[in-house]
Amino acid sequence: MKNFFKACLLRGTPSMVLALGAGFVMASSADIRAALGMGAAVLISMLLTSIVVSAIHKFIPAYAKLPVYLLIITGFVSIIEMVMEAFFPIVVDMLGAHLAALAVSAVIYRDAEEIADHSGEWTSIKAALTTGIFLTVIMVICALIRETLGNATLWGREIAFLANYKVTALAGAFGAYLVLACVLAAIKKLTGAEEHLEGEEHE
Amino acid sequence: MNIKHLLKTIAILLCIVAVFGVAMFGLNFLTGPIIEANNKGAEFAPLLAVMPEAENFEDVTATLAGVPESVIAIYKETTGKGYVVRAKASTQYSKEPMEITFGVTADGKICGIQLDVYTDSIDFRAKDANYISSYVEKDSALADIGTVSGATYSSSAFKTAVSDGFSALISNQLIAEGVKSDAQILQEMIPTLAPGMLKLEEATASGNIEKALKAGNDAGFAYVIKNGEASFLALVNASGICKVYDVAGADVTDAQSALADEAKAHAAASQKSYAEDLNTKITRLFADASEITALELNTFNTVVAGVSFKSNGADYYGFYSRSYGYNQMDVYVILDANGAIANLDAKAFFFDEEYFHVDDTVNLTDYKNGFAGQTEAGDNAMIAGATMTSNAVKQATADTFATFNAIKGGAQ
Repeated sequence: MKNFFKACLLRGTPSMVLALGAGFVMASSADIRAALGMGAAVLISMLLTSIVVSAIHKFIPAYAKLPVYLLIITGFVSIIEMVMEAFFPIVVDMLGAHLAALAVSAVIYRDAEEIADHSGEWTSIKAALTTGIFLTVIMVICALIRETLGNATLWGREIAFLANYKVTALAGAFGAYLVLACVLAAIKKLTGAEEHLEGEEHE
Repeated sequence: MNIKHLLKTIAILLCIVAVFGVAMFGLNFLTGPIIEANNKGAEFAPLLAVMPEAENFEDVTATLAGVPESVIAIYKETTGKGYVVRAKASTQYSKEPMEITFGVTADGKICGIQLDVYTDSIDFRAKDANYISSYVEKDSALADIGTVSGATYSSSAFKTAVSDGFSALISNQLIAEGVKSDAQILQEMIPTLAPGMLKLEEATASGNIEKALKAGNDAGFAYVIKNGEASFLALVNASGICKVYDVAGADVTDAQSALADEAKAHAAASQKSYAEDLNTKITRLFADASEITALELNTFNTVVAGVSFKSNGADYYGFYSRSYGYNQMDVYVILDANGAIANLDAKAFFFDEEYFHVDDTVNLTDYKNGFAGQTEAGDNAMIAGATMTSNAVKQATADTFATFNAIKGGAQ
C-alpha cells in the first residue's frame, strides 16, 4: 500500500519527476482558487477517463488507443469546462487557455494509458483519485507560497501586513519556476524519487 | 490493418463522438443560460449595481446630442425602467478622474449611485459616509444636496458630474426636469454673488434664517432667510457688510433691511477678525507704519481685512486675502496710494508641499519682489509645477485690486 501511494505521488506529480504538465501547474499556481479549480478539473477528468478507459479498453485495438483516449479525455475536459464556466467563471478566467489545454495533457493520458488500460476499474479509480488529490495538493502548496509571498493576498484578499514585503517576482513566470523547483527538490528528498525511477528502469 | 479493424476503429470513434456530443448538447441547456447571464453580468455589473431590477441595457450615448464631456456613457434600460449614466469628474486633488455610475428611473429620480473610481487625496466618503447615498430618490434639482465639509472640491465635483448626467438626459427629453426650491436656487447663486466665500460649511440657523452657511476661509456668511413666504439670500462679508438678493438675483437690501440686520447680527457673533493679524504684519514690513486705520470692505471676495496706513510720509493700503491653493493661503498685499503693489507676502507659500522640487528652483525673495509696482493681477504669479499655490497668489492679488478699486471708486 505504501508503495502504491508513493507511486501515485510520483505519478501525480509528473511535473516534479518528468516535467510533464509543468506548464499548467505553473499557470494555475499563482492563486489558490485557480490551483483548486485546476486540481478539481484534473481530478475529475482523470477519474472519469479512468473509469471509461478501464471499461472499454478491451474493445479498442492497440493502434487506435491514442486517438480514442485523447477523444475521451477531450470530451470530459470540455464537459468540465462548460460546467466550470457556468458555476465558477472567475476560476475559468484565471486559468484561461490552460483549462482547455488540459485535454491534451500528458498527465491524464499517461494515467489512462498506464493504469486504466492495464488494470481493473477499482484500481484505476483508486489510482486516479490518489494521483489527482496529490497533484491538487502540490498545486495548492505552490499557490500558497506564490500568492501569499508574491501577491500578499490569500484567496484574492489582501494580507495587510505582507503588502509592503511582497516579492512580486514570485507571482510571475520566474517565481513559478522557482517555487516549482523548490517543491520538486522537497518531493525528491521526501520520496527518493530518483531511486524509485532508477528502480523502475532496472525492472 | 484490415478493413474490419479500420471500420471498428471508426465506429468506436464515432460512438465516442456521439456520446459526448449528446452529453454536451444536453449540458448546454443547463449551462448555456447561466454562462450567458454570467457574461452579461460581468459587462453590466456596475450598471446593475445601481439599477438591480434592470433586465438589459443598451448604450445610447452616440444617439444623444449635447452630452457634456464629463458624461462617459448613457445606457437605456431596454424595458423602459430608466437610464444609467456613467460620468467622471476631476479636482486639483485628483490623481485621475473620479468615475461615477448612477441610475435614473423613468420618472427622473436617482435609484442607485456609486463611486467606481476615486483617487482624490481627500476622501469625502470618510468625512460623510452617507453623502453618496443621500442622492438616492433625488431628481435633477438635487434638492438639499450640498457639499461635504472638509472635502468641498471633491464633493462639489461629484455633484457637478451628477448634474451633468441629468442635463444630458433632460436636454434629450429622456426624463422630465426636477423643480428646484427657492432655497436651492438662492444657494446656487452664492458662487456668483460671493465668489470669495470658499468651502462653505453649514452653521446653526436661528430666527428667520432657514439655512446658514459659513465660508471655510472666513470670508463671510451666506444665509437663506425668510420673510413670510418669500425666501431671500443674505450675504455678509468679513467686514460685516450685508447684501440681500431675491430669487431672481435682484439686490433688495434696502427693501429687506430687517433681514439684513438679522443676518449681520448672526454673522457678527461668529465672524473671525483678521485685522490684528494684518496690523502685526504691516508693522513688521513697515517699521515706521502709523495711522493704521481699518477699512470697511464692500466686496465679497477673498479679502477678509483691509487697513490704510502711513509710512515715510506716504499713504499705503494693506489687505489680507484668504484664498485656497494647495492649502489655505494667507496672503498680505500692500498697495501704495496709486494702487500699485508695494509689498507682497504670505504666511506660507506651500511650494514645497505641492511639488517638492519647486522650492529648489524658485527663489522666494525674487518671486515676491516680482510683484512690486504691479497694478493688476498678472501671470508673473504663476509657477510651473506649483499651479495651485501660485493660482491662489494670483487670486489674492486680483481680489486685492478689486477691493482697492471698490474702496477708491466707492463701488464694488
